[in-house]
Amino acid sequence: MLASIEWLKQYVDINLPVEELVEKITGAGLEVETVKRLGEGLGGVVTGRVTDIWRHPDSDHLWVCMMDYGQGGDPVQILTGAQNVHKDDVVPVATVGAVLPPSSRNPQGLKLKKARMRGLDSFGMLCSADELGIDSKLLLPEQRNGIFILPPDTPIGEDIKKVLGLDDVVLDIDLTSNRADCFSIIGLAREIAALTGNELHLPETKCKEAAGGRAADMAKIIIKDRELCPRFTVRVLKNIKVKPSPLWMQNRLRACGVRPISNVVDVTNYVMLELGQPMHAYDYDTVGGHTLIVRRAEDGEKLVTLDEQERILDSSMITIGDAAHAVGLGGVMGGLETEVTDKTVNVMLEAASFHGPSIRRTSYSLGLRSEASGRFERGVDTARCHEASNRAAYLLEEMDACETVAGIVEDYPAPAAPTVIEVTPAAISSRIGIAIAEEEIEKILTALDFKVEKAGEKLLVTVPSWRGDCSCDADISEEVARFHGLEHIASHLPVLSITQGRQHVSEDVKDQIQDYLVGAGLCEIMSYSFINPAAYDKLLLPEEDPRRKSISLLNPITDDFKVMRTTMAPSLLSAAAYNAARQAERVAIFEIGRIFLPKALPLTAFPEERQVLAVVLSGRRGELNWCADNDDADFFDLKGIAEGLLDKLQVKNYQLAPIDESYLHPGKSCAVVLDGKKVGYMGELHPQAQAAFDLPHKTYLLELETEPLVKYATAVPAYQRLTKHPASSRDVAVVVPETVSKAELETVIRRCAGELLRDVRVFDIYTGKQVPDGCKSMAFNLTYQAADRTLTDGEVDASIKKVVEEVAEAYKGQLRS
Amino acid sequence: MEEKLLAIKAAALAELGLAADPEAVKELRVKYLGKKSPMTEILRGMGKLSPEERPKIGQIVNLIKAELTAAMNAKGEELEEKALAAKLAEEKVDITLPGRAPVRGHLHPLTLTMREIKKIFMRMGFDVMEGPEIENDYYNFEALNLPKDHPARDMQDTFYITEEYLLRTQTSPIQARTMQAREPNTPIRMIAPGTVYRCDYDATHSPMFHQVEGLVIDKNISLADLKGTLELFLKEMFGSSVKVRLRPSFFPFTEPSAEVDISCVICGGKGCRVCKNSGWLEILGSGMVHPNVLTMSGYDPSQMTGFAFGMGVERIAMLKYGIDDLRLFFENDLRFLKQFN
Repeated sequence: MLASIEWLKQYVDINLPVEELVEKITGAGLEVETVKRLGEGLGGVVTGRVTDIWRHPDSDHLWVCMMDYGQGGDPVQILTGAQNVHKDDVVPVATVGAVLPPSSRNPQGLKLKKARMRGLDSFGMLCSADELGIDSKLLLPEQRNGIFILPPDTPIGEDIKKVLGLDDVVLDIDLTSNRADCFSIIGLAREIAALTGNELHLPETKCKEAAGGRAADMAKIIIKDRELCPRFTVRVLKNIKVKPSPLWMQNRLRACGVRPISNVVDVTNYVMLELGQPMHAYDYDTVGGHTLIVRRAEDGEKLVTLDEQERILDSSMITIGDAAHAVGLGGVMGGLETEVTDKTVNVMLEAASFHGPSIRRTSYSLGLRSEASGRFERGVDTARCHEASNRAAYLLEEMDACETVAGIVEDYPAPAAPTVIEVTPAAISSRIGIAIAEEEIEKILTALDFKVEKAGEKLLVTVPSWRGDCSCDADISEEVARFHGLEHIASHLPVLSITQGRQHVSEDVKDQIQDYLVGAGLCEIMSYSFINPAAYDKLLLPEEDPRRKSISLLNPITDDFKVMRTTMAPSLLSAAAYNAARQAERVAIFEIGRIFLPKALPLTAFPEERQVLAVVLSGRRGELNWCADNDDADFFDLKGIAEGLLDKLQVKNYQLAPIDESYLHPGKSCAVVLDGKKVGYMGELHPQAQAAFDLPHKTYLLELETEPLVKYATAVPAYQRLTKHPASSRDVAVVVPETVSKAELETVIRRCAGELLRDVRVFDIYTGKQVPDGCKSMAFNLTYQAADRTLTDGEVDASIKKVVEEVAEAYKGQLRS
Repeated sequence: MEEKLLAIKAAALAELGLAADPEAVKELRVKYLGKKSPMTEILRGMGKLSPEERPKIGQIVNLIKAELTAAMNAKGEELEEKALAAKLAEEKVDITLPGRAPVRGHLHPLTLTMREIKKIFMRMGFDVMEGPEIENDYYNFEALNLPKDHPARDMQDTFYITEEYLLRTQTSPIQARTMQAREPNTPIRMIAPGTVYRCDYDATHSPMFHQVEGLVIDKNISLADLKGTLELFLKEMFGSSVKVRLRPSFFPFTEPSAEVDISCVICGGKGCRVCKNSGWLEILGSGMVHPNVLTMSGYDPSQMTGFAFGMGVERIAMLKYGIDDLRLFFENDLRFLKQFN
């Protein structure tokens, strides 16, 4: 909401510097976002009359103007290149020494000096609106090009700032949606009056009604749907003279960001800005039967609106029709057919109240939001339609632009009863937390035009008609709190019993996982939960893969944020690629995020939101260092992280199972199975997927659901007594076929070695000349230990011998000699 | 005899003087003091000496032996020390080379900020609650006193999935969810951190961001309690010198409502680019829980009152770390992420 201070001052005395005013109204909950000083950087420009004009003898576009701007003595010679200046025109004159603000013509602003053009002196400059710093979008078409020609009766020698309202200060107020009443100059003036203790003056509304006849005989109103329109009023104005409105009105409209059009339209806008009541003017003679009918539109009904767009309506929309068809969208925009033009002779002036939610739905579905619809959405004061109607008639009469017919035609079947709220000073004080005296409460409310009556302990507060936002005692507390001043409420801490603040254990486990991975050298990332569904193609997911059935947004910002992810993989791989493209040699990242799994599509129930850890390694294993191997990370780096994490979370009984995943290397990937259920996977990214994600290095990916880990992670570990007897260890190498896994071999070894074997560790794997083709040598370190005695060398050696023999025997058939 | 012994001693000492390393000393020890040394030979031949001479020579031999042993020990120690010093000198490394440090990872700055917020409130006895990111219209709006077609819905551009389901625009639905999950009129002290979504994307808006909601419901909770609690939180978060101010505002689910500002943490309130020269930074929204919100979730507003507040985690992190571009949080550039510890 833009508010002109000059306009506000018409209704309330403001004897504060602007800064203090801003602080006061912001402190009352009307946040001033910016303060715009019009005419900033403009000085020394005055109005002047062209006493004579002729072509520059040496130029085909320059004119020589003789100017009288009240300087006394002879006219002053000023040259101009504009082609729209004529003798006796009144125009803005920038005299030598004047300053002009930055504009599209002079981006740096300008300080006027005497100039010489093709041999002739120019002692100043005639100005266009743009050069004065006025936004051309807010001008009449004839004011936009060339020199700004002012009305002929404009006094000469006046400061242009005064003439064009450029000495005004405009406040841009970020209005909260509850304060419909402050969506107007008078509403803001009322608030300022209450804040400063100054008196509020109301606008003059007494129109002459001198046209003769009765409006009721000339126009008819029918409300067919009372829910959509509680009140509809019309005034009839005769002998309209359509012309530009006076400069002062244009200036005020411009200050508030509204483009002047013509006197009739300008007055409807002016009254809307001033009183908050949107209005609409119909050309009386184009309204069939001079009857306006408020009804729901027919489905598929068509209407061409003022902006020359054809709109297809439906039955949720409030329509104003004449006897035959739709002539306007109530509260949103009028129709083109009944528009006021320079041929209009008589006018029907509407001031009505429409159902806010319907207006909101209509303007949303048509993508048509206007100053009027914005006000109706918040709610206009149904009780005060007449005031607006009278004010508009008064203003047009004052401009000598119409004669008003007596009376207002209206349909207002159920006048709104004022809201009365019961409050007690004790309840208000208790809600605010400090004692506030009854007298102060009464004083604050009365200043805001609430009526307060005492009824024993209670106060009966009658809410003024424009404060539709107040309906319960909490609302009254707010009025009291904001005028008492929130800064004057002494704060204290709530007195509550001691309690232990807790987070859910799964959050504790999440913290543990994050901390472990950070300790393992990984960086946490955060990615958007919505992804581009093309990512599923990059993952080479088959068409029927359930992960492709993701929840999509109805109104995504871009294709990249279109569906809710069903896997964390694309998010992490994209982040890895982003960093690889920025010369990151080592990418080791993780994220714990949610995936969204619908039970059915389109969504008819809440989907499952599953928390998943994802890890990606790509590029160098560690930072480049003279003492490191500087190799790229491989599958076992990823597996080590996974094993370490599971160990940290005390998950011991998981299995690794084969997996068939389109985007993983078939020979370097596996599923993680816990309690018989697949909870994740790890593996090397398939070269095709790697290429699809633009990853320059081999990339390793892990996904692991976190919820199944929680019960393990939260278990308290049971202490194991330490054995006093020493352990013995032996190294042993066995040659087996290459296809034999370490897990398989370990099973055989453990079976042979018996229960004294504590630990089996692989420390070397060899393939090459020393072993037969298709075979490998695996070297193990076996540790034996008994809980009750020291083992003898003989016992251990015998066990080792048995292991070597039995392993050889077990794979004898498969070994080629 | 005696001269012979003295000659051996002289020869031994002379050779010892020339010994260059501990090995040479060892050899000399064998040569002059070992079983086959000339001195041993002499001792062996002592039987041929007269009884008067025997003790005399014996004494001389013992003296020489002791003298040589001492000399050799000294020389040996000296040479060993030298050898060790030489070895250590040889082992010298370039201590300016970088160490073999385990690679350190980093938590995301939003995780760090979120953890700090949680810690402060948990110390005050607040529980941490969670809720779904895909919400329905009821919890995200209606139960918060925001009926359909209410103009205040404009404050939040919503991503819709269907007419009924949407991406939550705020963590406030957890207020209603928490109240409804408890026995009516049970006191509540909770915060709800979480990811939220709004249909807005530019230098100062991210379509996904994080909020922390707070709710306290009990008997006799007042606006003054709200002010005290938030002052305590903000001073813990930004330091005890920070000033806090409340400004009346509007949220559909609170009445009275207030925006909470802190004195600018960048300029200390003098006015700068970050605070747009106002000296104040808007940091969270708050208010007394609207009676309609209590009623809709089964609480009796005549018995229980409460306050609620909500803050943007990105905003707090930006102020805390002096980050000037919101988009950095989700670009995941490692050069950015590695700055936070």
